[in-house]
Amino acid sequence: MTRLSAEKLTLGYDDRTVVADLDVTVLEGKVTAIVGANACGKSTLLRGLARLLRPREGTVYLDGRRMAELSTLDVAKVLGLLPQTPVAPGGITVADLVSRGRYPHQGWFRRWTDADDDAVARALDATGTAELIDRPLRQLSGGQRQRVWVAMALAQDTDLLLLDEPTTYLDINHQVELLRLLRKLNAESGRTIVIVMHDLNLACRYCDHIIAMADGSIVAEGAPVDVVTAELIEKVFGLACVVVSDPVAGTPIIVPA
Amino acid sequence: MTATLESVRALRTNRRRRSTRFAMVTGGLAAAVATLFAVTMMVGSFRLSAGEVITSVLHLADNPGVDFVVRELRLPTAVSGLAVGLALGASGTIFQQLLRNPLASPDFVGITSGAGLAAVTGIVVLQAGGLVITGFALGGAVVAATLMYVLAWRDGVTGYRFILIGIGVAVFFDGLTGYVLTRAQLFEARQAMHWLTGSVGQASGPELRLLLGALVVLLPLAVVLQRALRALELGDDTARALGSRTELSRAGLLATAVALIALAVGVAGPIIFVALVAGPIANRLLGPATGGIVPAALAGAALLLGADLVAEHLLPTPLPTGVVTGAVGAPYLLWLLATTNRQGTGG
Repeated sequence: MTRLSAEKLTLGYDDRTVVADLDVTVLEGKVTAIVGANACGKSTLLRGLARLLRPREGTVYLDGRRMAELSTLDVAKVLGLLPQTPVAPGGITVADLVSRGRYPHQGWFRRWTDADDDAVARALDATGTAELIDRPLRQLSGGQRQRVWVAMALAQDTDLLLLDEPTTYLDINHQVELLRLLRKLNAESGRTIVIVMHDLNLACRYCDHIIAMADGSIVAEGAPVDVVTAELIEKVFGLACVVVSDPVAGTPIIVPA
Repeated sequence: MTATLESVRALRTNRRRRSTRFAMVTGGLAAAVATLFAVTMMVGSFRLSAGEVITSVLHLADNPGVDFVVRELRLPTAVSGLAVGLALGASGTIFQQLLRNPLASPDFVGITSGAGLAAVTGIVVLQAGGLVITGFALGGAVVAATLMYVLAWRDGVTGYRFILIGIGVAVFFDGLTGYVLTRAQLFEARQAMHWLTGSVGQASGPELRLLLGALVVLLPLAVVLQRALRALELGDDTARALGSRTELSRAGLLATAVALIALAVGVAGPIIFVALVAGPIANRLLGPATGGIVPAALAGAALLLGADLVAEHLLPTPLPTGVVTGAVGAPYLLWLLATTNRQGTGG
């Protein structure tokens, strides 16, 4: 059973094709990592799946229907996305920003309701940002800021959540903290989560499923222990390496040879 | 997973505090605008009391002498200052929020220059006046905005690209305006120069009524579109992920802002800096409730009425309003240029 999938998907910018003729299925209720070298098309694929990029060819399906035929507001009630470098207006406070995640649930004239309050409070609690609500976003540390953005995406209250490199600018502690948070959200609410990320070791440790991409196509996919091998890393990243087992979790760890 | 009661309560307190702040700032600005509006009609060579002005405007008492001064001479100027200020403030803050840059007011990204060029061409070549000038200004603003959209807005905007292109477009239009002025006869050139400085006193009936009519429609429209603006402010990707139809709402907001600035320019000439500073002043007052279009519009009206009072009455010789706004606005612009980059908020 899947809710989000794509068939024969071709995506690109201007006259450059980035992803060509790709089939992909997002596993329901799992945490999936999309990994690959720089410019392999992983962020492009995520943008295509989130209807931020119109497919050149092929179709994205959401809940069995062609995404192009759904209204963008209906999609936003089911599928949330945190872009790579989100921007916020100057003096915005945490409460204001996270509350804007309720946009798809409000009409032009509908007032703020208790349900909105509840969803925002849940998002704040889950991300541990409840005590920051009065603070301006720009005064927060990088890790706090990223948690606030995740809270905004959570306030949207969607079953599917896509994140584009959410850990890139964070230190190791904050990276782990954020991935644990996403795991917790997945465990507690059964949310389907897709993360584009660079750190393979963390991807193996915290994700159920890995999609490895090279040159705009999927090279391998499956559970980390099954697919992450020295040959695959050589093929995807061009790096000669040894794959060992994580002493804590037993997941694969990549060590340069 | 349920939310803790504590978080819900804190959130409600926070929201209540923000809406109280918003109501207080909006109310305070409205009171300031009302006061300046009344004072504009009280001062001059023939001084009147607040009571005389109010009873005359509201038709509560008959006093032919007072009525003539208030209704015929001073009310048009005061209404023009109010309407032009509201339009400039609203238009400026919409541009700044849409482009996510405090420098991106319509007078810097070439919209005002486009309107100015078209209007001056109308004055010099066709010896036009009144509504025709407004029509020309509107046409020029739309052409300038379309040009900007085509040049800078292909794959979404990055703040600085838009502003740099805008400054280029503004210089181009200003150059053409200079050329048109050199081809003019002395009388038309004088008229055009006076118009270009910008003054709320030069408004005549029809174009002022047009601006008032437009404000009645466009200000509520801007308030409705504010919802879309709040999503767009977070960047195109986030806005679309939240379910906003980005191109449509941006086109609607841009059209509203361009119409407001063009009609304001048509009435009072290109009065500079009000559109630039109104939004930031309102945001400074609003603090955590930042971003309201109505407070920015009110701040614009207060600034313009205040600047006109200074221009007409406090200086040894009466000057056009645009001279005062320019003299106050230029230092602010320098400060803005000096500080935005350092804070990294420029774009």
